[in-house]
Amino acid sequence: MSQMNRRRFLRTGGAVLAAGSLPFSLVELAFGQSGPEDFTFAFISDSHITHIKGDRFVRNWDRGMIQAVAEANLLSPRPDFIFYGGDIAQLGTPEEIDHGLEILSGLRGDVHHVMGEHDYYLDLGEHWRKRIGPDHYSFDHKGVHFVVLNSILTWDEWTHRKWDTPMQRMKEMARLDNPDGSPFMVGDSQREWLRKDLSNISKSTPIVVMSHSPLQKIYRGWNFWTEDAEQVQELLKPFDKVTVLYGHVHQIQYNQIGNISFHAAMATAWPWPYPKTFVQEASHLPKLTVEMNRADPFFERDGTGWQFINMHTGDVDVHYALPDNENRVVAFNEQQDQPVDTLYQEESNRIPPQDHY
Amino acid sequence: MTRLTPRRSVTLSVLIAGLGIPMAIAAPLGLPPVPIPGDNPQTEAKIALGDRLFHDPRFSVDGTISCSTCHEREKAFTDHRRLSEGHSGLLGTRNAPTVINSAYMEQLFWDGREPDLEGQSKQPPVNPVEGGLADVGVLVEKIRSEPSYVEEFNKVFGVDAENITADHFADAIASFERTIIAGDSPFDRYQYGGDESAMSEAAVRGLEVFRGQGRCVSCHLIEETQALFTDNRFHNIGVGFKAIRGREAEIAHEFLKAKHAGADVDKTVLVDKEASELGRFAVVEDINKVGAFKTSTLRNIELTPPYMHDGSLDTLEDVIDFYNNGGREKETDPLTPFLSGGIRPLDLSDQQKQDLVAFLEALTSPEIASQVTSTEIITGSTGDQQP
Amino acid sequence: MNRIYYPLTQAALAALLLSMLAPAALADRFTEADLERWAQEYMAVVDRGEKLFHGGLENENTVSCDQCHPDAANTHPETYPKFQQQLGKVAVLGEMVNWCIENPLESDPLALDDPRMVALQAYIHEQRRLVPLVPGKH
Repeated sequence: MSQMNRRRFLRTGGAVLAAGSLPFSLVELAFGQSGPEDFTFAFISDSHITHIKGDRFVRNWDRGMIQAVAEANLLSPRPDFIFYGGDIAQLGTPEEIDHGLEILSGLRGDVHHVMGEHDYYLDLGEHWRKRIGPDHYSFDHKGVHFVVLNSILTWDEWTHRKWDTPMQRMKEMARLDNPDGSPFMVGDSQREWLRKDLSNISKSTPIVVMSHSPLQKIYRGWNFWTEDAEQVQELLKPFDKVTVLYGHVHQIQYNQIGNISFHAAMATAWPWPYPKTFVQEASHLPKLTVEMNRADPFFERDGTGWQFINMHTGDVDVHYALPDNENRVVAFNEQQDQPVDTLYQEESNRIPPQDHY
Repeated sequence: MTRLTPRRSVTLSVLIAGLGIPMAIAAPLGLPPVPIPGDNPQTEAKIALGDRLFHDPRFSVDGTISCSTCHEREKAFTDHRRLSEGHSGLLGTRNAPTVINSAYMEQLFWDGREPDLEGQSKQPPVNPVEGGLADVGVLVEKIRSEPSYVEEFNKVFGVDAENITADHFADAIASFERTIIAGDSPFDRYQYGGDESAMSEAAVRGLEVFRGQGRCVSCHLIEETQALFTDNRFHNIGVGFKAIRGREAEIAHEFLKAKHAGADVDKTVLVDKEASELGRFAVVEDINKVGAFKTSTLRNIELTPPYMHDGSLDTLEDVIDFYNNGGREKETDPLTPFLSGGIRPLDLSDQQKQDLVAFLEALTSPEIASQVTSTEIITGSTGDQQP
Repeated sequence: MNRIYYPLTQAALAALLLSMLAPAALADRFTEADLERWAQEYMAVVDRGEKLFHGGLENENTVSCDQCHPDAANTHPETYPKFQQQLGKVAVLGEMVNWCIENPLESDPLALDDPRMVALQAYIHEQRRLVPLVPGKH
């Protein structure tokens, strides 16, 4: 990368960085004042490790996670930590969670986890919490307040219905297009926890919310949905800079609602279609989103990926590492006050693979 | 999908032979017309000059290495060596690909570091383990100091001695290489020529495996009206990564540090074995192109052993076993974490593997086969240090 | 008594014989009840297809079609036949269904007229109903 580009990169936080190159030139910035420092972290999500029998797991999903770990290990300087966005397992079995954690253990760096519905509904998160820790928590890092939510809960009546077996409940929730499904939510008690947690944070502190479900209402049919999204957003409204990073949707999505930026993670396992491709129902993908490329299923990693997050002055730039595709950068644009794709945001810059129908 | 014509290309449709008059090359059966760049049209005189330059060993530091040293017509325009050897017996890091049908490539070299044949031709003469010349200035001086060349360059390009450049050299060689094309194999006659008896039964079964369980056709393209057998893309299929396994991060960083400090990619990847294994990553610095190499054409593949970017597989049977095992020589070898999602264990039966080999052998163009005298793999150095 | 014999023409004879052979309901007449019954026949197969699509193929690696294609989205049945990159040729929907069964599902292909293949295609088409045909579209 040329000297000129390096300087621009450092100032704009990656908006002109050749998408997908190692952030080799990403050196520490000294902003000098007390306040949020610049730092980076990796964001990997939705591996859906699936146990077949004995020591056999679905090879395809194993490979996706292995590749993401190997690529994340190439980053230099090292990211401050790694966030894992949920759905490490497919049916929440101990074998799957353990196998996924074993693959993740190859990561060089500390990992923080988010609960996904595929991790939860077999045993209500018991094995996950035993191996990993609490399913909602917060911490501060270099002036940024991180909040991790379990946003895949649902109505108690559904969760505690008289299921034939816990696996039956898990499979019902695992099926994305389940007509008898139940919507995700953060829920009353956790929202109350969130309210209390945020009450000690100053309005100028940048906030990053890690969530598995979108904390928006995009398409109910596939649970691209959080039932109490508005109430959660309400709790986040008073703050200057809030970013929500979520998993679950297995596709590029991004949005701006008031003061809150939203960014979805790609899955390491497989891509999901955009909701509009199911023409029998209406859906509400954020208009801002420039869609990812359509995948060629021959290449098992096409339509998958992971994310490298660059935080600068409390704003988030997401670098998508997309195997078999041009990598993409969705960076927070100060002038427009919203995330913007650095290559494709203009309609005239779109390319045929972004046309989903 | 594959774009067949580079940005600058114009496909000429009028066939007129004769000196100085632009000419087209008829597309062989099974291939599209050869893409010809608009700024380097074919003429008979230019092709003849390119042929002469291609075979001239003066463009090396010790006068022994020409393009044809590693791309010899009698060896199907390869050298039948695992790794190519340059001047003074110096060994490079890569296997010499064939020139045959390279005119259809959208990027040249195993890692695609040159966008066209012209660019490619200027690198080997000045690479420390190939031609070994200090720079292209030396190459141009050698042309200028040979009166017969000065005369030819003047005839072809209309330039005086002092205006001869390395680009003229490159244009002539590329023009010659654009005539080294071949289709019309038994497969082409079967698939596009309507001759159902052109391939053996085994090869016909092998074609089904190629398209189906073998999962070959997605990268080694066969289409309804033509078969390039390459997608012109880069994939990590698991070859050679043992050399850098577990140390990819440190090697990538050493390499990038040197590159950003001005190191030449062409020189580095042929001299430094570990950097060489980075593949396409060395060129585009894309995190998911570590260890990715260009899809080769499979035309005439039985004539161009050994195989892969490091020449590590000797026979077609070895190659098929490598793919059948999901991107490794032995089933028990570890897989590279950077493995392309297109590679996976194939579960082929012995019969299917044999049929696949029969099919690959049906991709040989008769006119090429008639020029090739042996396909034995050559080991041992030709250098002075040879014991 | 005068008996008058009317000679039967060949055509008349044929018509007479036919009317004795033909069933009471003629082939070109179907009723609302028929339409409804046939629609139910069709929906029964769509239903079978929906189950096959959602894990009913019971392939060993447990991957099911709906994992990548919830509600059969992104299958584009209206674009077939078309040049299918993964097959290197122009193909029909059933051939691509088989490609998926062999590749991501790592299982054995179905005959194109296998009742399971018919059911899968019925479900896929039903989920895409009313989308105009655009054969050849990538």
